[in-house]
Amino acid sequence: MRELELYFGPQHLGMVGNFSITLNVEGDRIIKADANPGFLHRGFEKLMEQRTWIQNFPLVCRINVVEPDSMELMYAMGVEKLANIEIPERAEYIRSIYLELARIGSHLFGLWAYANMLGFDTVAQWAMYHRDLILDLFEELTGGRVYHIYILPGGVRRDFPEGFKDKIIKTLHSIGGCVPDYDNIFFNNRIFYKRAKNIGIVTRKEAEEMGGVGQVMRATGMKYDIRKIEPYAAYDKIDWEVPTRKDGDAYSRIWIVRDEMIESVHMIFKLLDKMPQGKVFNKIPNPFKWNIPKGEAYVRCESSRGELGLYMVSNGKDKPYRVHFRTPSYSHGLTILEKALINASIADVGNIMISLYIVAPEIDR
Amino acid sequence: MNKSLKEKLLSSFSDIQIDITEDNKVFINTKKDDVISVLNFLKNLGYKHLALISCTDWIEENEFELVYILSSYMENDTEYRNKEKTNILVKTRIPREKAEFVTLINVFANAEPYERELHELYGIYFEGHPRLTPLFLEREYKIPPFRKDFDTKKYVKEVFDNIPFVKDRKEKK
Repeated sequence: MRELELYFGPQHLGMVGNFSITLNVEGDRIIKADANPGFLHRGFEKLMEQRTWIQNFPLVCRINVVEPDSMELMYAMGVEKLANIEIPERAEYIRSIYLELARIGSHLFGLWAYANMLGFDTVAQWAMYHRDLILDLFEELTGGRVYHIYILPGGVRRDFPEGFKDKIIKTLHSIGGCVPDYDNIFFNNRIFYKRAKNIGIVTRKEAEEMGGVGQVMRATGMKYDIRKIEPYAAYDKIDWEVPTRKDGDAYSRIWIVRDEMIESVHMIFKLLDKMPQGKVFNKIPNPFKWNIPKGEAYVRCESSRGELGLYMVSNGKDKPYRVHFRTPSYSHGLTILEKALINASIADVGNIMISLYIVAPEIDR
Repeated sequence: MNKSLKEKLLSSFSDIQIDITEDNKVFINTKKDDVISVLNFLKNLGYKHLALISCTDWIEENEFELVYILSSYMENDTEYRNKEKTNILVKTRIPREKAEFVTLINVFANAEPYERELHELYGIYFEGHPRLTPLFLEREYKIPPFRKDFDTKKYVKEVFDNIPFVKDRKEKK
């Protein structure tokens, strides 16, 4: 059969996000795939070298549109490490609760993308609605819906407003009450099983060779989670489980997303119970005249997509000398995706791509 | 844990400088001929996860600093040990004028896009890399844009200030 070249995205019905893959196909079968990023390259890391330490916060959260909060945390942790700043205990708890809320929001967004791609429009609408409830919480806490700029070096910007704790519990109960509905219509649905089982398999060996993290690693049975390995914020102060699956296919990865959302809800309840009183912010030097001592730091955390890292260099001036984000989608989208697509059919490209949990802005930065 | 790693490295390589910080970060400085063998050595010790390849432009010293960040996956699926907490930063310097280095693809498969990115943004040539084609950028630049001597403001002024405003075009008609 004749070999053809097919441009899949950015203007393609099966593509979610500004990303493109050049496929070499023979009939319906993919022989070779070339990931082609760059549609959202804004050069943030270069821009950040020309802005003061504190001015960079509105920039970092825009690196990943779906999940801005982990980026804020990473940058704040990097600055804290370089400048030797401690944060109060209550701020650690608030950070954890805030990040888990963000994780649920991001997973619901991911579920929207995946369900929409498979044609489960009802599930997609539900997920978007429930994400909106979480955005309402963020709006009350920070004033912003999508970009919050809430975490700062030294703690968080403000304490919980009055009655906020009850609102979190109420919202999470109303979302959690819909889990059986989600299960009935989507997760236990035979169509989902048929479409996702044994599709886009990434084995343990392949994942290790190609830098897999997050759901890709956990779908092969390894409890690889930075929140457990190198605990930050208040994650070491409560008991919680890392959900895993064994098969390494799209079906396992989406089930892990579901289990993680439920685990996050339980974590938030435990954190709210144990949260101490006190201040939420340690005073930092005047941010307009803030020179951070010479040095370099590498910090990492678990975003909703996997291991997120930040390499940061300071030369003792008021601006960072070099900032480089290690994003989970980078290896997933540029290395693993190209391998996982070989021998798949064209109808499964979107399926494999979204189940690997790739977001384009995170790759391009 | 990290001390025995230090001893192993010191006994295998000459001309290597190792700093261990309290928060489990191991900084290794070595000369550029040794980097690939140091990384190979660490991979065989179980540090199999290449998290990042980064580069810093030290323009005053006229050098690029390449940084390879490694960590390890879990050996046991459920048990957390101290080994995974360790991040190893292997650093080396290469001259700025003739920015060339060898590729790491044969050791770590996911080095490919990172090296492609550094080639595009810093102009570092990686020998043996199968596709050093453009990754993010769509225009040609005289100086690779992430180098410190690339002036963003000047570039924007030169390129975008030469496009006439809508009003001027109307007047010409």
